[in-house]
Amino acid sequence: MITQWFFTHVDRRGAIVIALLVALACLVPLSNLLLPPTSALHVPTYLVSLIGKYLTYALLAVALDLVWGFCGILSLGHGAFFALGGYAMGMYLMRQIGPRGVYADPVLPDFMVFLNWKELPWFWHGFNHFWFAALMVVLVPGILAFGFGWLAFRSRVTGVYLSIITQALTYALLLAFFRNDMGFGGNNGLTDFKDILGFNIQADSTRSMLFAATALFLALAVFVTSFIVRSKLGKVLVGVRDAESRMRFLGYRVDRYKLFVWTVSAMMAGIAGALYVPQVGIINPSEFEPANSIEAVIWVAVGGRGTIIGPILGAVLVNFGKTYFTAAFPEIWLFALGALFILVTLFLPKGILGLYGTWETKRKDRIARKRSEPGSPATERATPIAEPQAAE
Amino acid sequence: MKAKDTLLYLDGVSVSFDGFRAINNLSLVLQAGEMRAVIGPNGAGKTTMMDIITGKTRPDTGDVYFKGEIDLTRHDEAEIALLGIGRKFQKPTVFESHTVEDNLMLALAGPRSAFSALFHRQSADEAERIDDILHTIRLHTKRDWLAANLSHGQKQWLEIGMLLAQDPKLLLVDEPVAGMTDAETAETAKLLREIAKTRSVLVVEHDMHFVRELDVKVTCLHEGSVLAEGSLDYVSNDQRVIEVYLGR
Amino acid sequence: MQLIRLLAVFLVLSGVFAPGMEAGAETVDDATLRPLIQALAAENFDETTKAVSGLAKTGDARVSAILNALTAGDLYIVKADKAVFIGKRDGSDYAATDPLTGAKLAPVPRNAAEKIKVNNRLRRDIAAAIGGLTLMSDNPAERRSAAETILKTRDPESIALLDQAIAAEKDSGIKAVMQQAKAAAVLNSTAPDDAKIAAIAEVTAGNSRDALGLLTPLQGSDGPVGDAAHSAIDSINGKLALWNGIQNIVYGLSLGSVLLLAAIGLAITFGVMGVINMAHGEMVMIGAYTTFVVQQIIRASAPGLFDYSLLIALPAAFIVSGAVGVVIERGIIRFLYGRPLETLLATWGISLVLQQAIRSWFGASNVQVGNPSWMAGSFDLGLLTLTWSRLWIIVFALSVFAVLQLVLKKTMLGLRMRAVTQNRRMASAMGIRTPWVDALTFGLGSGIAGIAGVALSQIDNVSPNLGQGYIIDSFVVVVFGGVGNLWGTLVGAMSLGIANKFLEPFAGAVLGKILVLVLIILFIQKRPRGLFALKGRAIEA
Ligand SMILES: Nc1ncnc2c1ncn2[C@@H]1O[C@H](COP(=O)(O)OP(=O)(O)OP(=O)(O)O)[C@@H](O)[C@H]1O
Ligand SMILES: [Mg+2]
Repeated sequence: MITQWFFTHVDRRGAIVIALLVALACLVPLSNLLLPPTSALHVPTYLVSLIGKYLTYALLAVALDLVWGFCGILSLGHGAFFALGGYAMGMYLMRQIGPRGVYADPVLPDFMVFLNWKELPWFWHGFNHFWFAALMVVLVPGILAFGFGWLAFRSRVTGVYLSIITQALTYALLLAFFRNDMGFGGNNGLTDFKDILGFNIQADSTRSMLFAATALFLALAVFVTSFIVRSKLGKVLVGVRDAESRMRFLGYRVDRYKLFVWTVSAMMAGIAGALYVPQVGIINPSEFEPANSIEAVIWVAVGGRGTIIGPILGAVLVNFGKTYFTAAFPEIWLFALGALFILVTLFLPKGILGLYGTWETKRKDRIARKRSEPGSPATERATPIAEPQAAE
Repeated sequence: MKAKDTLLYLDGVSVSFDGFRAINNLSLVLQAGEMRAVIGPNGAGKTTMMDIITGKTRPDTGDVYFKGEIDLTRHDEAEIALLGIGRKFQKPTVFESHTVEDNLMLALAGPRSAFSALFHRQSADEAERIDDILHTIRLHTKRDWLAANLSHGQKQWLEIGMLLAQDPKLLLVDEPVAGMTDAETAETAKLLREIAKTRSVLVVEHDMHFVRELDVKVTCLHEGSVLAEGSLDYVSNDQRVIEVYLGR
Repeated sequence: MQLIRLLAVFLVLSGVFAPGMEAGAETVDDATLRPLIQALAAENFDETTKAVSGLAKTGDARVSAILNALTAGDLYIVKADKAVFIGKRDGSDYAATDPLTGAKLAPVPRNAAEKIKVNNRLRRDIAAAIGGLTLMSDNPAERRSAAETILKTRDPESIALLDQAIAAEKDSGIKAVMQQAKAAAVLNSTAPDDAKIAAIAEVTAGNSRDALGLLTPLQGSDGPVGDAAHSAIDSINGKLALWNGIQNIVYGLSLGSVLLLAAIGLAITFGVMGVINMAHGEMVMIGAYTTFVVQQIIRASAPGLFDYSLLIALPAAFIVSGAVGVVIERGIIRFLYGRPLETLLATWGISLVLQQAIRSWFGASNVQVGNPSWMAGSFDLGLLTLTWSRLWIIVFALSVFAVLQLVLKKTMLGLRMRAVTQNRRMASAMGIRTPWVDALTFGLGSGIAGIAGVALSQIDNVSPNLGQGYIIDSFVVVVFGGVGNLWGTLVGAMSLGIANKFLEPFAGAVLGKILVLVLIILFIQKRPRGLFALKGRAIEA
């Protein structure tokens, strides 16, 4: 029953990825915690956290792909939603420090004591409860995205204009969070976390659990995204991407559809940020850098936009490359990344998976045509996957 | 003439772009169940007239009423589509990354909210309607094809099929036979006449053979207003129409 | 008695000052000075004060040195005979000199001498006295600074001296300062009301900020003086508000010019060609580095040309950035026309490569780009002080804009550019070599970015990240103004600059900037295609 329901909403590839992620969520913690460090199958803790970090990036990439790949909205500000989710989690972790801070104030985080603040600002209240923080992780990015999207989509801001104002959005937030009097720790951000849900955040077991949670949330995101894009709503989105005005003349309220995925996507990005912060141990305003958001776009482009697995692949591969290069040849990394962007846009416009996808749809299409017109040669007239022409 | 009892009623409509009057004091009335052909030279404002009816362009002045009482200038594209006005674009516009079947599925009349779309399951009824339309537009053998792979003429037909799926009261069809062979043109004329039995249709076309085959009342537009109106023979003998459009 | 004293004072003063009008300070014979110097060593401060003013009134050129020594605590008396000398510590003795003649005296043992004490009040008086003295100096700078000192101390005692000095002063600038000083002193004195009211008028005509400081204390007093002060303050405040507005506009224009410079190349590559050129900032950066290299070469080979370095750097930067632009267009961008969002990704990649290249080449830290002398310094315009660099940037940005307009509107290249960007297929059908025009257009946009880099190198740190700081602002300007419209870019840049400067005072620089961004986000909702939207079907799609 449930499996049947599951398979009507996820294709084979999605199912494999979900299975893989669930398996990772079980096996990696087991290997880290139970196997002796000498074992060849032992995954050291630093690696657990590193892969965990990649998976949060992958989650961000999936969120971005939902709006860009399937609906043609190129957001250059998704890093903002990621960072807001991260800050919400960071505020919870800050409150958990309690009197163990340097200034040993039972309530105020260190940076507030340092700034001579006497009491907690109103927006810090409630963050001592995990459930509240968890709610904020989705609500804050969600509400911001909703408000922003409501304004932008209703007045039909599209293409380049939309991309630029999303960039302005994250830039404005960057400037705002750098300010000390915003109450988010200024340019140092939030750090020195101790506990999460009562568990020591440095402990191997906690790190393994955070990893497992990330893998499971990513699996969930894959499922939700599959569910959305395989529904009629998903088809409407692709229709909007390819021919927005046609969709309107069919009677669809395009702005509401966009607003829906935009908000869902922002919430997913928020969750990604919330999982990211405890694993890297810090959140600061640099997460709002427009460059970060653009990098996320690159992950999606490299992996293949308009697919669900592509962004995951792209995020993990690019970040693996980044980790490797910045350690081995620090001065080459930017050259490599820059060249990657250029080469992918020139030679792999549909990304790594797009390459495979093109081949597969061509094959299916050919089969379909053979079936419909027996005897007639299957001529190729156009690229099977239409170019998304979102920007025009 | 009164707006009442008409299906579509345009009166004194004008619109200008940067001082250029694309539509100039245009008045046009369409009765329920009527099919009308609109002709006119390039730039006469035919497409712009459709833009106004479907809410894409707001007129500067003038009345636009649907079914005698609905002021179309107060509604946007999506609302007007839901009121029952379907439109085929001059340049065929279908969803190229969707299959033929999905194109029709998206056009099919039904709830349009995002929420219902998210949990939509295709009913047997809907499947049947799609089948019907696929047969009507003669694309039933290509239902799994990506629309991008259809020929130009097939795309035109698919778009007409999508209009049918929308189940509108009024169809606005902009140059449906552009780029079609003579045989396809004849087929299309047949199809439109068929459709016109149950709905009102407004066809814009340059192809005079096609217009003749439709055998309906003709309106000739020029520089944004009506130059002549009547049977095709009447209009095509009008001195001014010959001058600006048909040529001697 | 009174008469005699007056006469004596008159004689002394005329003796002191009459020739001094021409020749500056006068020398009074030692016999007059000695007793006064001796009186400095009086037991109480009041006596000393009197002696100080007595000395000052002699107007003798040597007096200021003595008074300076007094404030510095270098004036001593020999305990035994109360003789005054200027002492410098020298082991257990004081090396002594005669205060008047400066002749060396026999060293005085430290325990045989006593320092003449001064307190703060006395110090002030001495400062005022010295100020009064140098009013007569033949060095104009000294006279001016003396008058300015009085303007600060507002010592009523110096009114008489000022009157003399004003009568004799030939330099109108210094005279004005003296008049201000006198008015200030009058306001601080017990002069009759009408004198004070005249002084208020005088002060009001002068420097408004100083005047506010002088008049505010009077505002509370009753009677005509208080009223006059009150209305004077009102009028000054009105004037200040006006000038404040003017300052905001001028500073806003100069910020707007920076934005315009940064954005104008983008208005071509992005606005006209539709390439979302994220490497635009790097073109600016390359221009700035070209300036650096040009200056290095000039420093090494022809230091005399340094003042012309920017003029030489302009064409150089245009060529270097333009050439880089042409290479980028031919190598990468030409494959991406019609896919604007993909040009974004590719050019972002290019920007990373260029940044890293410059970093490997010149190092990651700032390089030093010098200002030629004509960029340094400032000048006054009414109540506002403008730096030359600010003015030059405005002039320069507007000239670049004008030249670009000319190129686009009046040259064959401009015509072809517009033809290609409006309808590529048609243009090529008409025999225009579109690839060539594309490359040149992109080169032009990049070259102009390079020129902007020359200007920005004068007001910003030149580092590999220079471009990153401008890229978002540039896009915001172009989008705000309306893509594809140079005038829109101009108006967009200027209005953003001015908006920023008007928001800054009450929101702070950062918050002001945030507010501007938010306003733009809201503005785009109202006009989704910017301030000066291109109209037509092609755009609407
Ligand atoms: N959005 C717009 N902005 C500017 N001008 C427009 C716009 N829409 C239409 N026009 C102008 O209005 C005039 C009428 O155009 P329209 O497309 O209605 O002509 P048409 O009768 O459909 O011609 P054709 O037979 O070539 O399709 C044309 O000159 C066109 O350039
Ligand atoms: Mg038309």
